Amino acid sequence: MSRIGVFICHCGENISRTVDVERVAQVTARLPGVAIALDYKYMCSDPGQNLLKKAVAEHKLDGVVVAACSPRMHEKTFRNAARAAGLNPFLCEMANIREHCSWVHEDREEATAKAIDIVKFTVSRVKKDRALAPITVPITKRALVIGGGIAGIQAALDIADAGHQVVLVEREPSIGGHMAQLSETFPTLDCSQCIMTPKMVDVANHPNIKLYTWSEIEEVSGYIGNFQVTVRRKARSVDEDKCTGCGVCMAKCPQKKIDNAFDRNLGTRPAIYVPFPQAVPNTPVIDRDNCTRFKTGKCGVCEKVCGPGAIDYGQQDQLIVEPVGAIVVASGFDLYNIGPKPADSPYEGYGEFGYGAIPDVIDGLTFERLASASGPTGGKILRPSDGKEPKQVVFIQCVGSRAREKGISYCSKICCMYTAKHTMLYKHKIHDGQAYVFFMDARTPGKNYDEFWRRAVEEEEAVYIRGMVSRLYQKGDKVVVMGSDVLVGVQVEIEADLVVLATAVQARTGADLLAQKLGISYDRYNFYSEAHAKLKPVECATAGIYLAGACQGPKDIPDTVSQASAAAAKVMTLFAKDQLEREPIVARVNERNCAGCLACKKVCPYGAVEEKEIRDRNGNLIKTVAYVNPGVCGGCGTCQATCPSKSVELDGYTDEQIMAMIEAL
Amino acid sequence: MSPNRKFALSYSYYPGCSLHASAKEYDVSTKGVFNALRIGLKEVPDWFCCGATPAHNVDELLSLALCAKNLSLAGKVEGDLAVACAACFSRLKTTQHRLKENDIKRKQVETAIDGPVPLGKKVKHLLEILAKDFGLDKLEGAVQKPLTGLKIACYYGCLLTRPPEVPELDDCEAPTIMENVIKAVGGEPVAWSHRLECCGANFTLSRPGVILKLSNEILASAKDAGADCIMVACPLCHGNLDIRQEEIEQATGRRYGMPVFYITQLVGLACGVSPLRLGLESMIVSPAALLREKNLL
Repeated sequence: MSRIGVFICHCGENISRTVDVERVAQVTARLPGVAIALDYKYMCSDPGQNLLKKAVAEHKLDGVVVAACSPRMHEKTFRNAARAAGLNPFLCEMANIREHCSWVHEDREEATAKAIDIVKFTVSRVKKDRALAPITVPITKRALVIGGGIAGIQAALDIADAGHQVVLVEREPSIGGHMAQLSETFPTLDCSQCIMTPKMVDVANHPNIKLYTWSEIEEVSGYIGNFQVTVRRKARSVDEDKCTGCGVCMAKCPQKKIDNAFDRNLGTRPAIYVPFPQAVPNTPVIDRDNCTRFKTGKCGVCEKVCGPGAIDYGQQDQLIVEPVGAIVVASGFDLYNIGPKPADSPYEGYGEFGYGAIPDVIDGLTFERLASASGPTGGKILRPSDGKEPKQVVFIQCVGSRAREKGISYCSKICCMYTAKHTMLYKHKIHDGQAYVFFMDARTPGKNYDEFWRRAVEEEEAVYIRGMVSRLYQKGDKVVVMGSDVLVGVQVEIEADLVVLATAVQARTGADLLAQKLGISYDRYNFYSEAHAKLKPVECATAGIYLAGACQGPKDIPDTVSQASAAAAKVMTLFAKDQLEREPIVARVNERNCAGCLACKKVCPYGAVEEKEIRDRNGNLIKTVAYVNPGVCGGCGTCQATCPSKSVELDGYTDEQIMAMIEAL
Repeated sequence: MSPNRKFALSYSYYPGCSLHASAKEYDVSTKGVFNALRIGLKEVPDWFCCGATPAHNVDELLSLALCAKNLSLAGKVEGDLAVACAACFSRLKTTQHRLKENDIKRKQVETAIDGPVPLGKKVKHLLEILAKDFGLDKLEGAVQKPLTGLKIACYYGCLLTRPPEVPELDDCEAPTIMENVIKAVGGEPVAWSHRLECCGANFTLSRPGVILKLSNEILASAKDAGADCIMVACPLCHGNLDIRQEEIEQATGRRYGMPVFYITQLVGLACGVSPLRLGLESMIVSPAALLREKNLL
């Protein structure tokens, strides 16, 4: 006969308000095999846990049921307590009478009866539990960082500085991300390039960092401590080992009229290019879609002029498999597109702003390029249409953000600050110019942030108009801005020379596809989901994968860098151990019964089922059976449901246990 | 009652009060065009005012009930409901939209009109019928006298495409349906800024000063864009831009001389409907000189 202990928690009043916990204790105490049942106000507290430990010793318990909250909340707590009392922790099970009972019911009688049932069947389950030992798996102490913006750079440098190998994958030809495009940064107005490029060089020179630019993640398999990542190195058409970065190929390329995406299409670049002069690595890439050689076969100038002979038109994409133990996702963000709706965008854009068809209506990132010393105008603020200095500039905040009807209800967080910064940069360069800002709210929490915004208003003479803009239209060489000033209660019309839209931060196009490869979850806006909004802000629900930067949600540079370092710290914590302990809730094959049909292998979503040959002592093959790799098994039970001969079972959830639970009702 | 069966397309028709009074030429030309294109049109018997702008400013239930009753009358005539006036179109569609999403309101209205509201009855503006149901290709095929060289400012006004969830006609802030129809009949739509601005609507009676400002901006913008004329699909807009044009010219000192056509008048001209059946003579700013210049008369 078993000796089970049942411990019923009041959870303050969370459970006892709806469930008569004393009665649950009285009834379950009389169940066959139950040695003791008692209730307590907070089972998870120290005295509560001590109660459990004492009872295990006093009553020589061989199984424990804690009737309390969800196992996701406190299973670990109570299993640790059981372990401390000398019991195998996997002989301790939770009966969830909070989320599954007291929280969802009102009638006390019925809720109590249901709680008794839940405890009853959990007791039946515990009786059939086996003592299990945790599975240990080795850890590959190398990390993958996806994305070479400031988030990925920071995380890679931190992990590499701790002495671990890092593989940094960036899909553009250079690392640097959005931050490399900015002119100055708030709230200190230090030059973005000046603080960014040294870090980029550090990445390139770090002995522990393997840098793959112009590369994408093709496939991810494995699990925490043991991921296999396939990286697609897109054909660069330039041999990185031979190239010296002299730049002659770019200077001589006859096709120079390609829109420069790095400069937000304000300038042009050749078909063989680096995105910007400070690029890391300083190795060009041939844009095959626009290269005359690849389009017609009739050029080849770069090959002729290249001294070291680095040009390789025949280069193919390469697939490289990298084993890593942890992954930091730092894939960044995109900006809301106000132009015609792109096919892959869920958002409609702004018809009232002409769908981006007015040349002097630009977005904030384009203004950064205009203001940047390394930008297409050499840092002079000149408007795109005719290259004139704009004397009246209207900035419009919350374009796309906080606009449910446009598809996005969240705040993009950075726009209030960067718009204030833009007004200052503008005033510093065009002293007689006037900046106007249309805003809904000025949201400036952050160290020295509000002071920065006030400076824009009080010292740099930006005129802030609280209200939204209803329409923009071209009138001669001006852009007419029709808006409202809701504080004064009047309609406002401004004839502007340039209009700058603070467009919403949105998830990267294709962020969902990357998430699916990684097996991590994402929200309705395709931002990646953290495991817990407050207490696990950098971890994914998928073990071994961590988040950094704006791929998780809109973030400014300080927050991004903090989160990147936090993600790196989490990776280092993982790498501090040599072996990883995993819960042994995995499937086991009964090799005696297994007929080797491998139906389980076909359905296993984790790829955990392998073939195993059983041989006699002379090495003759007796039969082939299924084998479940406990390191890979996710414990879902699909194999168990599929097996025609009932030869594979999930520990803790065997058919025998499930049947016993049903019979107990 | 059944619509005329000899036509492949046929509609029930709600003209609205204006089309029997100040906008008779819209009614006449609508019938002219539909006849020429062999689209059936059967007027809803006993229809009455949709309430237009006054009713919904005073009492929501009244405004819904007026439209609901008209919809219920229209329900007895076969075919989708064709509407010419942008305001009637907006009110009828709004009523269906509002009653679809609000059961309590729907029951109140059903009590008020003593019967069910045909929420499934499709309400369509003439533009939609020409561009989508009849089709631009067929329209192009029906042209006998293309409007070559006629530069037209297509004016939507505020109601035809707004609010975004109601009319389901086109993109609410950057529509192209009018321009598409004009291109199909050989005209030249101009790109201009005030296609979707408000003309001042029925402030024309209570505060004419508002009209002088708003409608002037529309006329000026069309003129500056090089338009020969303006095309509208709403009697109220027509009134403000056409009837008030001389007054606006006097107030601003700028001479426009800009004929304001209904869409059906221009499509009718192109499709060979006799000018006598298009009500051109009712226009205050005479189009005669312009049409002669372009060899359209």
